[in-house]
Formats: sequence, structure tokens, C-alpha cells
Amino acid sequence: MFELLFKYPPAAFSKGRLVWLSPWPLSWLVLALLVAGLLLAWRLRRPPAPHIQAGPRRRLILWALQAGFVALLLLMLWQPALSVATLKPQQNIIAVLLDDSRSMTAEEGGARRLEQARRLLNDGLLDALRARFQVRLYAFGHSASRIEKPDQATGAAQATHIGEALRTVLAEASAAPIGAVVLLSDGGDTRGGVPHAVVEELRARRLPVHAIGFGRERYQRDVELAAVEAPARVLPGSRVAALVRLRQTGYTRARVRLMVEEEGKTLAVREVTLSGPEQIETLLFQAGAAGPHRLRFAVQTLEGEENPRNNAVTRLVRVEDATPRVLYIEGEPRWEFKFIRRAIEEDKGLQLTTLLRTTENKLYRQGIADPKELEHGFPAEPEELFGFRGLIIGSVEANYFTPAQQQLIHDFADRRGGGVLFLGGRRALSETGWNRPPVADMLPVLLPQRTGTFHRDRVRVALTQAGRDSLITRLVEPPEANVERWRNLPALADYQEVGEPKPAALVLATLETPAGRTLPLLITQNYGRGRVAVFATGGSWRWQMLQPLSDMTHETFWQQLLRWLVSGASGEVSGSTPVPVLEDESQVLLRAEVRDKAFRPVADARVAARILGPAGLAETVELRPVADQPGVYEAEWSAPEAGGYSAEIHAWRGQQELGGDLILFRREDGVAEDFRMLQNRELLQALASATGGRYYRPQEARRLAEEITYSEAGLSVRELRDLWDMPVLFLMALGLRSAEWLLRRKWGAV
Amino acid sequence: MRLPILCGALALGASLLAWQGRYWGFRGEVDNDDAPFPPDGHEKTEFVFARLRYPSVRFAWGFRGNWATDYWKADRQFVQGVRRLTRIHVRSVEQVVDLDSDEIYNWPWIYAVEVGHWDLTDAQCKRLRDYLLRGGFLMVDDFHGTWEWETFMASLSRVFPDRPVVDIDSKDPIFHVLYDLDERFQVPGIQYWYTGRIYEKDGIEPRWRAVYDDKGRIMVAICHNMDLGDAWEWADHPRYPEHYASLAYRIGINYIIYAMTH
Repeated sequence: MFELLFKYPPAAFSKGRLVWLSPWPLSWLVLALLVAGLLLAWRLRRPPAPHIQAGPRRRLILWALQAGFVALLLLMLWQPALSVATLKPQQNIIAVLLDDSRSMTAEEGGARRLEQARRLLNDGLLDALRARFQVRLYAFGHSASRIEKPDQATGAAQATHIGEALRTVLAEASAAPIGAVVLLSDGGDTRGGVPHAVVEELRARRLPVHAIGFGRERYQRDVELAAVEAPARVLPGSRVAALVRLRQTGYTRARVRLMVEEEGKTLAVREVTLSGPEQIETLLFQAGAAGPHRLRFAVQTLEGEENPRNNAVTRLVRVEDATPRVLYIEGEPRWEFKFIRRAIEEDKGLQLTTLLRTTENKLYRQGIADPKELEHGFPAEPEELFGFRGLIIGSVEANYFTPAQQQLIHDFADRRGGGVLFLGGRRALSETGWNRPPVADMLPVLLPQRTGTFHRDRVRVALTQAGRDSLITRLVEPPEANVERWRNLPALADYQEVGEPKPAALVLATLETPAGRTLPLLITQNYGRGRVAVFATGGSWRWQMLQPLSDMTHETFWQQLLRWLVSGASGEVSGSTPVPVLEDESQVLLRAEVRDKAFRPVADARVAARILGPAGLAETVELRPVADQPGVYEAEWSAPEAGGYSAEIHAWRGQQELGGDLILFRREDGVAEDFRMLQNRELLQALASATGGRYYRPQEARRLAEEITYSEAGLSVRELRDLWDMPVLFLMALGLRSAEWLLRRKWGAV
Repeated sequence: MRLPILCGALALGASLLAWQGRYWGFRGEVDNDDAPFPPDGHEKTEFVFARLRYPSVRFAWGFRGNWATDYWKADRQFVQGVRRLTRIHVRSVEQVVDLDSDEIYNWPWIYAVEVGHWDLTDAQCKRLRDYLLRGGFLMVDDFHGTWEWETFMASLSRVFPDRPVVDIDSKDPIFHVLYDLDERFQVPGIQYWYTGRIYEKDGIEPRWRAVYDDKGRIMVAICHNMDLGDAWEWADHPRYPEHYASLAYRIGINYIIYAMTH
């Protein structure tokens, strides 16, 4: 129908550009339109006939119909045309990419997706393309390879890398006139999408990708463990929070068990109710002893699930063989100090070093590594302070610290990436000048610009919504019981007003003053490379003294708070990989961040990774500096087979070793396709749209051979196609005149 | 007939007074001067000198109860020193606490005097054990000789049947947390004025002892055969030797700071 009215297919209009073939300039057209409009208006200034009751509204309608007709004639007179690039017949190549991955073997409507694609190609599409172009046929999974016939694709590939397949075509396009790409796929890219660089190159070459999508876009009944976010490294004995994303269709309100296992041993189980198409649940479990841990997260398989293979994923968690040190400086002996010390003494994964001002001129040190450590008081040099991962500032005056030391506290979070916790107290926060830069900049609250903020009144506490979700404040399970637990905690001995939270801050807990005001109690935020928290009291010791001996609330809270505080801080050399579990992938990116003792980036280091893998594999890879990212080094490496790998990173500057770190990763084969069994239409549409192609359903694909002609890639020629004689224009002219005649007749003028 | 009735009435009255005295004691005893109640006596502070009120063994000396010995002058005079010599935020007035309610848990440091006469009930022993294991600290002082030690232990062994009382090593942090107290000597009570003796009863040798928890932290600090309370109380008196008072203050302050750091 479209072509009947407009002469050409939609693709011609979307690709083409409107031009005017008349020798007269367009300004004359505008002038002619104005003159015609005015003349018609002059003519209709009075009713068309004395006996016709034609008010201004009717005359305006008549004028619009007449002016429209004249304008249409004038436009046709100026000879509009379409300038469009078309591929030269038989001189261009069309690359046809056929998805050969396992997800294409899924059976729908009595036929497998791959069979549907092969049938589409064999039953006319290939012939139609070959009638106009040369055709190169590829099957692709991890990569693309040429095939002669569609039947050579078997659906055996364990991954779908559309980006890699397009890279192959782009490489060939440098030497051959490839005019367009036809992609037959379910879009289940196991890397999650097509790299931006590939899309950009396709756009630069004006090479359109026309996608034909196969497979259904949603299940009728399925539960999928869509993603698991667990920290790559944790401290020994830590409680770990994994965020599990569940997707489901057809099981709303069903109860399912979420679990995490290691080598067949269940670490944690949680029952959840499926409430919507997608939900995120938290699963808490104990990290266990130091070393690598291969964890299997799973959601229970329900009866009637269409794809039970997408119910489990593997993640790696490395329990560090380290005891992070936290420095706590306190300005006066107080109970909070004692009970924090006692709580942390119970935690073998943390080491607390304390500096206490017992008198005006005397400091009492506890937990020091050697008699010399901190003998001159709070560190004045970054090298000394940055050896700690966490810092607690208690009830101590701001002016006890020199300006340089205050800057150091700021840099501890900002540059070193450590965690800083500020406690309430009669000499803390607003009471003694902590509300001024640079420290005020890092705080998660806007401290009041006054004193008198500290009160020795007992106050009760409550969790906020953010606190419900936070691991720091999780004292008991389930979350509802935890909220109740917080509500029933003994009142704090004192509290401090800390002002409003900053926009990026999270208020995890609040307190209620005797006057009934609700104030922030525990506030956190990320700052620079580190994190900062304020706990606006010095009276949580009552949670220990006022509760039964068996109650571990106080210990648990402080251990979790301090573990959170230090968990973002790394050593001078920090290794990582963005994807520690390679699902049907071999390429791994090893990344190292190298800093000196003062945590300034080291740009001239030599960085190497010693990789150990299955079957006695041992290889050394050098990491190269990344442009524009001082101190960052990267290397890509290919894991040859499935199994666990470790990469020991070392960095040197000259002969001096700067430090080291360990990266764990794992290659798992035969799993990626299980999670991409549905058609990813969004991906296919976005790819087609970004490159100037179109997305087709299989039943629409017959138009492809005609529409594919309009392309600027390969060997193309620009054509001018007349538009003035489009049937739609004549129909419009006829319609305008008919409308006027009918109206006049109705109004009695004819 | 009248005589036995009279004797019985007297005996009953004496018993009632003795019972009352073993627990409640009297305010305004001879130890105290006429100093007015400090104007900041109700200030809310971090640390409060909490004096333990306990029941004494029957027929113990005096009616007022041994727990109140030196009360309140010793307490208030001592905390003046704590205020002056440390950064601890201290209330100028003591707090009397007992082991009969959970209120005790609000006072993580308690001082008990003349514990050679205490006689805790089973419920009090249980609460004291709980208090100490949760993190509370008890300092006991001013009891002397073998008999008072045995009386003290009769209750303490019911608090901790399974924990020994041991001598505190001079290297223990409690003797170094603020002042280095390697050189310690016997601190006599006020009886030194009129007897010239620095010891009482058969308590010739001063003993600094303790009960430790499982982490090696002192829960009960025992000052046996010495009278630090008298030394605090009479520190302002010209006849009481300064070096005794000075050591008593330093021991007391060290014990408080230890309790607030361990």
C-alpha cells in the first residue's frame, strides 16, 4: 500500500534526501505561496454569493481548501524529488550472518529457531538477494566463519558474540564492497551487547545492519536468576551480602528458596515470595576461611518451568588473608571507647589500634604494632597514616590536629581510599570546629554552625529504609525482625545533632529526641576513593551493658560497621578484573592500580602478572599503562580452557618492589546460552537503528531484498527519483477540490 | 516477767537496728564535713563515681553499714582529683548503686569499700557476675587481714566459683595506663594518726589482686590490706602524709582509666 501511494518503499524515504528539480529558486515558491494565499483571501473577503449565509468561519474553511489545492499545485510545479544512494546491482556483497549458537536450537512453534532461519534463507530470501547482489554467508558463535549453505549451521556454538561477527565483516569490508549486513539471530549476545566501537565503525562506514529476530520474547512460566552481585574480595569471617536479581513470569506470589552453596555445602538459604517481573533480594552468608571460594547461587526450580537451566550461577569470592588495621583516636576516656575496643577484639578479621588522650599531655596507645608506632601521636605523614585502612575520630577537638593533619584525614578517604568514621561526643563534630573545610567537605552531613549540639539524654533508635537494606545494620534475619530488633534496642546514652544529610548520603538509622524530633544517627557516603560515616552518639555502650550477656548486638554492629569502613580500601597495588567468571569466554582483562606509600599514582612502574591455571599452566604477562589513567595498568589474556586461574600481580619501580595483589578468575563453558534463551529484540532493534538498518520479523523479511538496495556502503550510486507524480499528491488534490464542492453544496452555493 | 519482756524488746530493737544498719546506713556520719552540695552535682557526665551499697555480715561493726564508710567525702574529694588530673568528664557527686535492680548496668565502674564485711545474696552474686562479664568493673578497698579476706571471698567465690583471685603483675597495664606504679607501698587508713601503724589487724602486707576475664582483662580489682578510701578522704588534712594520699589518687585514677580502656 505504501509503495502504491508513494511510488517507493519506506526505506527509500528514510535513506533519501528531498531535493527540488525546478530551475526556479525555492524563495520564489515561498513568494508564490504567499501571493496565492493573499489573492484567495481577497477573493473571499465577502460571502461567495449574496444568498449564502457564509460567516468568517466558513470563509476561512473555504480559503484553507483552496489555498491547500493551489499550494499542492505549486509544490508539484517545483518538481520535488528524492536523492537516494542505491547499491549497484551485482557489484556489491551482502554479508548474511546466521546465529549458530545453542540458544538457536530452542524449539518454538514446532520448529527450532535455526530451522526457521534456514528455511527463510532457503525459501526465497537468499535467491532474492542473489538476484541483485553477491552474497557471503557466515555462521557465528564465538566468532564468524564462512559457510556455503545455511544447512551447515548446527547450533553448536556455546556463545553468541554479535560484536565479533560484525568485526569479521568489517575487516572484510576493507577489501571487498560489502553493501549491507543481514543478521539472523535471537539477539542473545552472551557478552551482553555489541561493543560501542563496533557500532561506531559500522556507522562510519555507513554499513547498515538489517536484523531478523527469531524466538519468543518472553516465557509463559519461568524463574531466572538474572544476576548476582557479590564482592570479589572480603575479609576473613565476614558476613557477605550478595544481591540476587530474580526474573519471573507466571509465578507471581509463589514462594521459592534462594540458596548459596560451596562444594555441595549449603551456606545460606532464604525463602522469598515472587512479587513482580523482576526483584532484587539480599542473601547473607559467612565468607569462611582465607582463600578462594567458588560459590553457586541458585533459585529453586519450580514445577512447569520452561527453562530450568537459568536458575543457577557461579561466582568467585576471595577471602583475603589479611587483617586490616583501623586507627581510632579518642580525645577523652569514655565508655564508648572501651566497648568499641572490646567489640572489635572479638573480631579476628580486624585490628584496632587506639590513641587515647588520657590527660592534656598524655596519650595512651593500645594495639600498636611496635613500641615506636605512633609514639609522637597522630600521624603527620601520609606514609604512616595510610598504612591503616580505617580511621575513627572520636570526641576530640578539631584544633588538636594541625591543618596538615586535617588535610591528611581528608586525603585518607579521598586519595588513599580508606574509610573514616566520626563519632558523636562533647568534643566532636560541631562542638569543636569539625564543621570547617577540609574535613567538613568529606562529611556526609552539613554540620550545624553552632555548639550545644551534644546532649546526654537517652534516645531510642530506628532503622530507615536504607538501613533495612544495609549490611551494616543487619543484626538479625529476616529484615522485618531486624527492624523490630532496632526498635527495641536499649536507649543510647547520648546523642548529637549533626545537621542535614548531604544529597549523596544514606541515612541508615535515626534517633528520636526527648522533644520528639527525629534526627540522623548513622549516615554514610562514598567520598573520593573512600567512604565516610557519622555515628552521632558516644552512647552505644548501653547496647552491651543493658542487654543479656548472650546478646551480640553491640559486637555485631561495630564489627559490621568497621568491616564496611575498611572493605573499600586496598593496598598500594590493587588488582582486579571486571568479569571474574568467564561464561563461555576466554578473554580476560587484568587490571592493576599502582600507587606509592602516599597513595599517589605511579606512572612509571613495571607491572607483571604471573598466571597459574589448569593442567599446570604457568605464564607471565606484562601489564601496560593505560593512557590518561595514571597508575593504571592493563593486559588482556586468553584463558585457554575451562577451570580456575590465579594471577599474581607484582609492581616494581626500578629495583624497588611496590607491592602485589592476587586476582582470581574462572572460565566456565556451556552456561552462557542458558541465560539467553529469549529473543533480545531490544538489542537487535538498537543495532539496526544505530547503523541505518531495520529490524524485521521473519514474516516481514521478504521485503528485505528490495529495501536493502538503499545503502551508501559498498559500491553505490546516487539516484534522483521524481516525487511530483506520486499518486498520493493527485489524490490529495482531488480530495481538496471534492471537499470544497461538497461544502458549497451543503451551504447552498451550488 | 517484765525483765524477759524488756530484754526481748531490747534484743528485737537491736536486731532491727542492726538489720537496717547492715544495709541502709546513715547519711551525715562523722567522716563528712559540712560542705554544701556542689552546684554541678546534677551535671550529666560521662563518668560517675558509683559506690556500691551492699548488705553486711550480721553483727558487723556499727549500724550504718560498712558500704558507707568514708561516704561521701572520700568520693567527692577523689573525683576532684580525677577532674583535675585527667580529661575524663566526671560528675562532682557520687552515685550510690546496689545489686538489687538492673540500674547497676548503667554504671560501668563501681567502688565497694570494706568488703571484708559484705554478704551478698545469691541474686546479687548472679547480677554482679553478669554485670562484670558484660564489661562492668568493680574496685574493692579498705579491708584487712585474714578474717576480712575470708569474709570477702565467701561472697566473691559465689560470684565467680570458677575464677581464681590472682596477684596483679607489676607489668599489668593497670599499673601503667596513666601513672607507672611499679613502686607501690601500703596506704594506711586514718588509724595511722593514733596508732602509728600502717596496717590493720593481721594485714601487714598490701596485696593488689584481681579477678580476670577470659581475655585477660581485670574485672574485679582488689586492694587488700590498704585503705585508699581514707587516703582520698583525708588527703586535705595536714596530719595525713601526702605520699600516701598521692599514691591512693594515682592508683584510683589508673583503675578508672583502665576500666575505661579495657
